[in-house]
Amino acid sequence: MFFLYFLLLIPLLLLKKGVDMIVVWVILGVILLTAFWGIGIYNGLVQLRENVKNGWSQIDVQLKRRHDLIPNLVETAKGYMKHENSTLEGVIKARQQAVDASGFKDKQEAENFLSGTLRSLFAVTENYPDLKADRQMMQVHEELTSTENKITFARQYYNDEVNRLNTAVQSFPDNVIAGNFNFKKEEFFEIEDPAEKSVPKVKF
Amino acid sequence: MAYSFTQIEKDKTRTIGFVFSFLVGFYFLSILFIVLLVSNFVQFQVAANSHSSSFHFIFLDFAKTGMVFGAALIIGFCHWQYTTTTLISKIIKVLQAEPLDPKDTYHQVFQNIIEEVSVATGGQKMQGVVLPTMAMNAFAIADFKGQAIIGVTEGMLARLSRAQLEAVVGHEAAHIVSGDSLITSVTTSLFEMYSGMLEGIAHVLKSTTQASSRGRGRGSGGILVLLVLIYCLLSITKLMSQLLRMFLSREKHYRADAVAVRLTRDPLSLAEALYAIVHHWRGAGLPAEELEAIFIVNPAFLDRDEKTGLLADLFSTHPPLQRRLQILLNMAHSDIQIVVNKVKNMKQKPRVAVPEAKVNSTQWMVNKEGQWQGPFDIVQMMSFGWVQPETWIQRVGGGEASVQMAYQDKDVGVQIAKGKVDGGGVGRDQCPKCRTTLNTVIYEGLEIQKCHCCQGVLLYEKDVQKIIVRQEVGFSPRIVKIAEGVKKESNMIRKGAARGQPRMDAKSLYDCPECTDFKRKMLRVFYSDLYRIEIDKCLYCKRMWFDKDELEILQCLIEDKVNQQRK
Repeated sequence: MFFLYFLLLIPLLLLKKGVDMIVVWVILGVILLTAFWGIGIYNGLVQLRENVKNGWSQIDVQLKRRHDLIPNLVETAKGYMKHENSTLEGVIKARQQAVDASGFKDKQEAENFLSGTLRSLFAVTENYPDLKADRQMMQVHEELTSTENKITFARQYYNDEVNRLNTAVQSFPDNVIAGNFNFKKEEFFEIEDPAEKSVPKVKF
Repeated sequence: MAYSFTQIEKDKTRTIGFVFSFLVGFYFLSILFIVLLVSNFVQFQVAANSHSSSFHFIFLDFAKTGMVFGAALIIGFCHWQYTTTTLISKIIKVLQAEPLDPKDTYHQVFQNIIEEVSVATGGQKMQGVVLPTMAMNAFAIADFKGQAIIGVTEGMLARLSRAQLEAVVGHEAAHIVSGDSLITSVTTSLFEMYSGMLEGIAHVLKSTTQASSRGRGRGSGGILVLLVLIYCLLSITKLMSQLLRMFLSREKHYRADAVAVRLTRDPLSLAEALYAIVHHWRGAGLPAEELEAIFIVNPAFLDRDEKTGLLADLFSTHPPLQRRLQILLNMAHSDIQIVVNKVKNMKQKPRVAVPEAKVNSTQWMVNKEGQWQGPFDIVQMMSFGWVQPETWIQRVGGGEASVQMAYQDKDVGVQIAKGKVDGGGVGRDQCPKCRTTLNTVIYEGLEIQKCHCCQGVLLYEKDVQKIIVRQEVGFSPRIVKIAEGVKKESNMIRKGAARGQPRMDAKSLYDCPECTDFKRKMLRVFYSDLYRIEIDKCLYCKRMWFDKDELEILQCLIEDKVNQQRK
């Protein structure tokens, strides 16, 4: 940090040593230009970091919204699905886990798990035409679809911004400023689709 | 992001600066022209009066030109301010857009989609409006205060799937985020305030010329010349708005398509939506002639839109659709056949047939002055007017034991009591036919009021139009058969072979369930000359009453017509 101030002393030193006035001015100009350039980069990085923060809070809002909607969904579905208690309980448990989760990694895992259970619940509702036609169910379904989409979009926005920040932090010349002012790489919010991830077990 | 925000801002400022200087330049030239004309005219008169032949054409000196420029700047600034502050409300008024109805499920979905896309943009605030028309199109407008509006037509809401609608909203949001929307809105509405004046003067001109041709208005010659002059000047403003439109690049739609794909990650749906829009009525002839640039696809079908080259690039506000589709399909690694099939299949998507409602099958025999009459159902009984609480009735199939007075029967008694309390009139929100309270039900995404007894429905006139566009509900074979019958009958009426007026005697007219305080009657009319279905309509509160099945028959008839035209 402080060496930046010493940079300003260089022209003075040069002046004392009897270097030409014009050269000193040129050097001073270059130093000032570099400083302004640096300030520009710094501000850009701050902007990126704020975007990432904003993106994360967007995700958080939508996840909370989903947590709030799930009891409603379960309550509506209960009346129609007498034989699917295990699925419903799975959803409730997964929700509780997601609410309790703290820390980036935990949250990510719990939410992905919740998404999975919800998907299986909606798969099961296909077998209950009465439930699908229920007005309240339709409304809850629409709300949840919308919230799921919002989560997807919020995650997409967040990941895009994280990507921009990470690229900036690592590439020259931004990495010089980033290193000095403690800008760090951020983590992506990854989706783990259990359907895609599960590796079939091979038996011999 | 390839296209960064600073770049967008720079672009925006440049275009807006350009438009503003165009405006000032326009006023400068016109004021200069008028000043030159007037001063030279005066000088000419003076020269003519003094019989001297020294007429020189006067040019303005530097100071005067400066003054003219100052005046132009002030007028231009006032014009600019006026346009930009009233921008959105004016465009909405011209398009006759309506705010979203929170009770309408279609509108709810649209609202949700807007919020979703807003999340994808990182929190851009947007508001939705709906154009009440069957056409398919969408638009976006924005102003300097940061208010942004996305509008779609009812036809769009009814015919597109959720994903397709999302892609379209994504495209419009892209316009808003990139600032295109602001530029387009300002440019298209800049000279819009003159077109109203233009029409007014054209109207006056017409009437004056008619008067003078009749030989009366001799003195109006001077006024006529003046009016023609003003008309010419205003025509220039129209030309200016045409010119300004040239600066709106058609390329921005490609860019918005690309950003929409980045937002929703669904190029295929956008391609499908574009394809569906092109193959429907896009809204040509709507009051949006001057505003074509704000729409996703030009409402009017223009040849030049599909062409490339300098002229087309200059005058066209939209790029060739074929090329737009091609780009999107390349992004999706797909080809046009898939899109065509998808859109075709959507037209024939299986629809939920309305379950045939159980008719209240209980019937009664009624004892009128010692004579047993019947059997009647409850609706008929209530319409007689002579059934009193003390009238003897008997349930059909109920045996001797069920002979009782009307007030003792659990179904009839309730109805009779209601009739008594209301003094024979229909109460608020009661079925005008059987006087039971109407239930609110959801039909094609709209809340309408239905009588559970006679299956008649009560709804607003504007809702009828929405229902006609929407295609969620299918029709049972019975309805289709009746619809065919109605069609045949109306053909006969047109040939003059059958009775052409609805039954209209004062006794059979219904009371309006909404205007109970005023005891208004509903008028019985045909829905239209083409669709001869008897409906009852209150002229004051714009409510309509459809008897059982009539709404479905109407829908069936209209859809049939639409399909035939398409073939």
